[in-house]
Amino acid sequence: MSSDESFLQDVVAALDRVGLEAIVVGTVAAVLNGAPVMTQDLDLLLRDTPKNREKIGKLSAALQIAAPVEVSELSRSITLLGGALPIDILFDALPGGLTFEALRSRSSRVQIGDSAATVAALADVIASKQAAGRPKDLAQLPILRETERVRAALKGGRSV
Amino acid sequence: MLEARQRVAPLVPDIDPGDLLLILQSLLRPIGTGRRFFLRRRDSGGYVF
Repeated sequence: MSSDESFLQDVVAALDRVGLEAIVVGTVAAVLNGAPVMTQDLDLLLRDTPKNREKIGKLSAALQIAAPVEVSELSRSITLLGGALPIDILFDALPGGLTFEALRSRSSRVQIGDSAATVAALADVIASKQAAGRPKDLAQLPILRETERVRAALKGGRSV
Repeated sequence: MLEARQRVAPLVPDIDPGDLLLILQSLLRPIGTGRRFFLRRRDSGGYVF
């Protein structure tokens, strides 16, 4: 297991320990769906509830990293810094009107060590990046779309 | 890998053969087998695995 996989395993195990339901989204979700891409952080989507806000603090403690910090006054996301890599926590929905519930209904469970992560579908990762429209998101779209097509061809024996 | 490439390539003829190989290598390598996918920024401004 690489250090990247170990980091993911530690985060997923910590989510389990503190009872925090999260969906892995963004580029790491694309990686866990088999896409050959790279990123600098881990994005998690949570429901914004007082209980979950409390659990985020417990998650920081479980991972032995700094308390969460607001990324921007304009954004509801927060970032956990001080670990091997930044963890961005997003709330309730992704760009493109993708709600937590909708994403979860199409998600899959991916085993990472002894724990399983809830991972957004590749089609949803693509839709969110397209809607976000930032250059770094748009730059990944061609390889993500090709990965989706190749995966479908592998599974179903035909192109999409 | 080669078998998968032979089977899939005709179904996605517009995908560059190099890209197809890269994608298949990634798709067929499960998590937990030593994959690297995080870039870390160095103080110098560069990035490393």
